[in-house]
Amino acid sequence: MQKNALYILLADDDEDDRLFFKDAFEEIKIQTNVDFVHDGMQLMDHLNNPDNKLPDILFLDLNMPKKTGKECLVEIKKTDRLKDIIIAIYSTSSSEEDIEDTFIQGANIYIKKPSDFNTLKKIINEVVTVNWHYHTSGLNRDNFLLRLK
Amino acid sequence: MKWIPNFNSSNSLRVIFVIAVFILLFLSSIAYRHNQDLNDSSKVVMHTYEINIQLERLMSAIKDAETGQRGYIITRNARFLTPYIYSRDKVNKSFINLKKLTADNPKQQQNLKNLFKLIIQRFNSFEYCLKYSDPKTYDKRKLDNYMFSGRILMDNIRFKVDEMNDIEQTYLKNRLKIYDDEISLSPLFSILLFLVALSFILLAYRQISRDIERLKIFNKKLLISNGLISESEIIGKFSTWQWDLDSNKIDYSDNQYRLLGYEPHSFVPEQETFLNFVHPDDKDIVASSMEGILNNKILPFVYYKILLPTKEIRYFKSTGKLLTDQQGSKILLGINFDITDEHLLNIELQDRYRELEKSNKELASFNHVASHDLQEPLRKIQTFISRVSDADKDIMSDSAKNYIIKIEASAKRMRVLIDDLLLFSRTNTTKKEFIKTALTELLSNAEAELAEVISEKEAVITAGKLPKLEVIPYQIEQLFINLIGNSLKYSQPDNIPKITIESEKIDSSDYPEILDQSIKKFHKITFTDNGMGFDPQFKETIFVLFQRLHSKTDYPGTGIGLAICKKITENHKGYITADSIPGKGSVFTVFLPE
Amino acid sequence: MKLFIKFDINTICSLYLKQNLEQLNVNFTSLGFGEIEINDNIDADALDNLKTKLSPCGFEIVENQKSVLVQKIKDAIIELVFMDDSNNYKSSVFLAEKLNHSYGYLSNVFSEVTYSSIENFIILQKIERAKQLIIINEMSLTEIAFLLNYSSVAHLSTQFKNTTGITPSAFQRIIKKRRENLK
Repeated sequence: MQKNALYILLADDDEDDRLFFKDAFEEIKIQTNVDFVHDGMQLMDHLNNPDNKLPDILFLDLNMPKKTGKECLVEIKKTDRLKDIIIAIYSTSSSEEDIEDTFIQGANIYIKKPSDFNTLKKIINEVVTVNWHYHTSGLNRDNFLLRLK
Repeated sequence: MKWIPNFNSSNSLRVIFVIAVFILLFLSSIAYRHNQDLNDSSKVVMHTYEINIQLERLMSAIKDAETGQRGYIITRNARFLTPYIYSRDKVNKSFINLKKLTADNPKQQQNLKNLFKLIIQRFNSFEYCLKYSDPKTYDKRKLDNYMFSGRILMDNIRFKVDEMNDIEQTYLKNRLKIYDDEISLSPLFSILLFLVALSFILLAYRQISRDIERLKIFNKKLLISNGLISESEIIGKFSTWQWDLDSNKIDYSDNQYRLLGYEPHSFVPEQETFLNFVHPDDKDIVASSMEGILNNKILPFVYYKILLPTKEIRYFKSTGKLLTDQQGSKILLGINFDITDEHLLNIELQDRYRELEKSNKELASFNHVASHDLQEPLRKIQTFISRVSDADKDIMSDSAKNYIIKIEASAKRMRVLIDDLLLFSRTNTTKKEFIKTALTELLSNAEAELAEVISEKEAVITAGKLPKLEVIPYQIEQLFINLIGNSLKYSQPDNIPKITIESEKIDSSDYPEILDQSIKKFHKITFTDNGMGFDPQFKETIFVLFQRLHSKTDYPGTGIGLAICKKITENHKGYITADSIPGKGSVFTVFLPE
Repeated sequence: MKLFIKFDINTICSLYLKQNLEQLNVNFTSLGFGEIEINDNIDADALDNLKTKLSPCGFEIVENQKSVLVQKIKDAIIELVFMDDSNNYKSSVFLAEKLNHSYGYLSNVFSEVTYSSIENFIILQKIERAKQLIIINEMSLTEIAFLLNYSSVAHLSTQFKNTTGITPSAFQRIIKKRRENLK
């Protein structure tokens, strides 16, 4: 479907979660490259380095050491070069407050970390597909809000 | 100062007295004038009589002279001439007296002058008579002439004297008549006035005695209420003091002495006395509030400690007011309350409240953190289990496979528990932002949330018109989800679930036991289903946290759902009730304030 | 001042395409729905040039025949969804007639290329339309539901929620607050 593989970046301090994530991406049909950063600081360094390619979708854990996901989100949305990145919040929290808050701050997708590997795969597949639709079908990215459980 | 009874009669009494005094003064002035008049009239009478007497004397002197002369002429004895010689002096003397007496009457003076002329002529005629009767110079014709003219003169004189007497008499008569008129009028008038004055005084007397009666009653009442006040001061542990700013005199009520640890009136209070009792920590506060009261005329409650002679500390609350009494003198009125008992109780309560609040907060945050942090490892367990593939399971022993299934089921149940607990703690902790929202919209959101179950059970949900209310939107949405979810969960297996939602506006006074009466109007929203229902004896307990009516194998659940519903309605100052006929269905009623 | 701007992606795209092609002196005829016919012969360099020129805005020259068909299907769906009288058409009939293929074939090709179904894409587009209408804030949910051929508000809400994970009212609230945030 895509000439180039989709470039995915996950910022999460939990090693197990990174592992699940990596495995899930490997098992779905869509071709992707997945990269990881371990905390908020590392994420911002990575993004702010002009040599690095910007991710097509950034998966962002909210509860991270050094710099929280929310802080990163705000910072990204304030930076002209970064503000168009599709951001998927990837968090344990299912608090309505957290969800609305991050959407208001400019997140596009909110994923509650699933407790089942197949669900994770399904979710990732959906995110990538919808994202691709937004990318290719002339949909208004400002209206791109997606919450997955 | 309102508390002093007002005797309105005192003013009218004063008026009555003033009038009476004026009447008496008037009466005495009249009496004085009458006296004066009487005096005057007697003087006038005397005057008239004196003139009369003098005139008589004058006449008799002339007559003496005439008689003497006649005697001399006849006898030629010189002894007869003596009265004649003296008569001249007598006439002059009387004449001078008369002149004095008639000095105020020009008419009588004129008459007197004429009389005097006539008298002089008369004496002249005497002289001529003597001259022409003297044998040496005797002339019969001339003597006869003069004798005759003397006779005529005498008549004239008599006539004149009579005239003068008459004048005096008429004058006297007139004067006496005027006095008589005046004097005859005044006694009636005086008696009348006297009676009026008397009645005024009687009236005043009556008023005074009546006022005294009233004063007596008030006095009695005052005595009673004074007793009551001092009694209630003792019972109520308060006291009063008055500080007359003008005379700088301070009065303590009996209980004030007692509250300060002394017998009543065992010392004379002065300005600084009270401050001596105040605990050193609070002296400044009390001193400044005393100054404040002088400036602001009123003292807001001031709280401080008192150090009794026994070194015991009592807590006081005081207030005061600057009053100006009827006489215009400024009085500072103060009330002290001994609030030691309340204060200590309050402190204890506050401590307990703080403790409770703290433990509540701890509990809430513990609940939140625990359930939140518990999620993380649980999620991992579940995910790792889910990663055990079918291929992996194939090489496992049956018991191992069974264990995996058991682990999975337990983890799942724990997940549900944690999720519900989190939901419950969130209904307490998250910020409560009230937004005007159409409940219809929240209901359709709830239906969207439950879409899967609804379509699976082919449930029919019918809703009437729902109001637009100030609510915490996602909480009400959660309430709808829980109630509808509950109905769907406990539906009858062979019946299509039917849920009817209806709303009506009601007065809180219709449900006095359960609704907050300070809010007038409520919306009563009923959720009626045709499910299996429950035994109505549990209609209270089903809202209690972790209360379950069914075994968890039959109906999975945590017993948190309805507790959340109760919490949400409480957050909205509303109420929730449930009722049911087992086998027929149940009704959940939610009351939300307008 | 805050302005709400309603715009039509299709018009913008064809306008942008037209301007760029004119700049490159390419003689072309627009066939609509993202399809153009280049009248002159064009060499490989010029084609590359055209590709790079169009790429920043996400334009791509679709080379694969199936991808072309998928693009046509998508365009047709967008046309259908944004048509004001879309109520009168059944989507499968509309697509089959429009693209001269059986619906079954179209459905297969679409799933093969996109890993998702035509139905899903239609729903996605309808919800997208609903989002636009909600943001413009001129219509009530009931009116939007009617316009987009939903049987009830609840139905729209359910589909909205299924597609986006949030309710229409939450969506509206979020977009409103986002705008306030930007100010």
